[in-house]
Amino acid sequence: MTTSRSSRPKNIYICYSLAAIKNITRYTGTFRFGPQLFIEDASLDKGEQSMKSCVTLSVLALLASSSFGADEVSTFAAYVDSDLCARLMLGPITSERVQCSQSTFKEGSQPVLVRLRNNMVLTVNKEKMIGPLIGQLAEVSGKVKPNDGTVKLDSAMPITNASIPKGDPARKLLDVRMYRTDRSAQLHEKIRHELAMMPYISNFDFISFAQSGADVILSGWTVRATNRDTAGRVVRDIEGVETVINNIEVLPLGSFDMQIRAVARAKLQRYLARYFWGSGSDIKIVVKNGQIILLGTVATKADSDLAFMQCNSVPGAFKVFNLLRVQGSDKGA
Amino acid sequence: MLTNGYLNKLRSPGFFCVALVLLALSSCSRPAPRASVKKVPAGQEFSGFLSTYASLKPNPDFENTKSYVSGDPAKNIHKYVAVIVDPPEIYISTDADEKAFPDRGVAALKEYFQNAITGAVEDAFPVVQSSGPLVLRLRSAIVGIDVGQQLPADQKDANTLERALNIGRVAVEVELVDSETGEQIAAAVDRQNLGEGATVGSATFSREEKFRAATQAFDGWAFRLRRFLDSANELSKDDIDRVEATNFPYASK
Repeated sequence: MTTSRSSRPKNIYICYSLAAIKNITRYTGTFRFGPQLFIEDASLDKGEQSMKSCVTLSVLALLASSSFGADEVSTFAAYVDSDLCARLMLGPITSERVQCSQSTFKEGSQPVLVRLRNNMVLTVNKEKMIGPLIGQLAEVSGKVKPNDGTVKLDSAMPITNASIPKGDPARKLLDVRMYRTDRSAQLHEKIRHELAMMPYISNFDFISFAQSGADVILSGWTVRATNRDTAGRVVRDIEGVETVINNIEVLPLGSFDMQIRAVARAKLQRYLARYFWGSGSDIKIVVKNGQIILLGTVATKADSDLAFMQCNSVPGAFKVFNLLRVQGSDKGA
Repeated sequence: MLTNGYLNKLRSPGFFCVALVLLALSSCSRPAPRASVKKVPAGQEFSGFLSTYASLKPNPDFENTKSYVSGDPAKNIHKYVAVIVDPPEIYISTDADEKAFPDRGVAALKEYFQNAITGAVEDAFPVVQSSGPLVLRLRSAIVGIDVGQQLPADQKDANTLERALNIGRVAVEVELVDSETGEQIAAAVDRQNLGEGATVGSATFSREEKFRAATQAFDGWAFRLRRFLDSANELSKDDIDRVEATNFPYASK
């Protein structure tokens, strides 16, 4: 573009920035950040040159700020799980986990996504979109807010296990062998010990974890924000741990749920006193939006059934998930 | 004994008029309500703020502190998950003239200390607004504040207090009670002197560098309160054994 200096309109600075971008691409072949931005244009005098640079930088700053301010929009492979199973972290996607996802979803646990790449649990804005895909893999597109653990869904399409290429980080969660190999058993025990020793764990908190080599995924529910942070910190500080994904959910302390917590504990403490002691209990009572999730270990199936019955009679509780494990049995009741 | 004549005088309209005028005058002359301060009773070891001092014992982990933590298996600190933070109360020293205490200073001090203790405890005990099951009430008092000297006229601005507040010999008394029953679950009287030489001379003292010693003292007491809660929450040896034996993750093996 050849325009005489006198006839060039002085106030149309956007032309300068476009010209500058054109010049940059002309000199460098590609448009990129770096010292190439300040290439001299022999057709402009010194004042115009500095104006050009200034406007160019402004345009680039605007472009940069608009891209930094936006949420992370991404497409990723995920496992469509129930909130309950995702927080319990049953580990890799086995038939047992799929069964858990489907049965607990049917019983009323909300659907969530587990990002395969890093095991992050994400709650969604459109539960109906992923509900039919529960227990399956899906390619999901949407705006992810990793700090909130949420995703604003655009689309969710079912995919097969085979469609995820070999070597893709997303395959990690599909490979059972990745989890808790013998050589990391010691590390597993160390993590378990550290989490068990946290001082602010109450009857109403349940913190679990899964380990894949040096990667640890924390999950569960807590009524105190400090437990989420402390768990992340103590595990991160353990020698041998490289990454920690913290999927522990902090539960709201609404008065309705608090009432349910208090009554449920009082009932269990009355009928199953031997499972309760000074600062804690073998039975954990997680209450979320009127739902009770029973976790932990009891000695007999009869105790598990009794706990379930007692919690079912708690006023205001509209659903009880009994996931108590019976000693000597691998599965919950 | 009242005679009939005297009773008749009491019933007369004139007497009622005089009584009404006196009543009106007394309400007009009543001073504006002051920020409530109480006084440490003379010759007493404690202020009388805590619901009971009977169980307090010297705490070996905290210098100059007496404390109590309920060991009742049914009602102990582990059984609660949230807390209401009550506004702190102010107890002035026995010899202090309560009329000399500037209301704005007392209010600012209360507000600062409440924020400090709320910040110190809220991640361990989420702060809620209403009482209910599993909710503790955190009551606190700053005990032994004295009134300081009048501040020089040339240093005054709109926020300057008429008299400085001296926190040089202050103790802090705190207790956690069941928010429904009022039963004491834990308590501490912290006499660690963190405010030596510190004064509060402005309603905006928290933002002024020259009163930094005062804010540091209040932050220090709040920090010690959090440490006390942490120590009260520590697991006993029996608890550790029990947790170790039962706490296993649900993840697949």
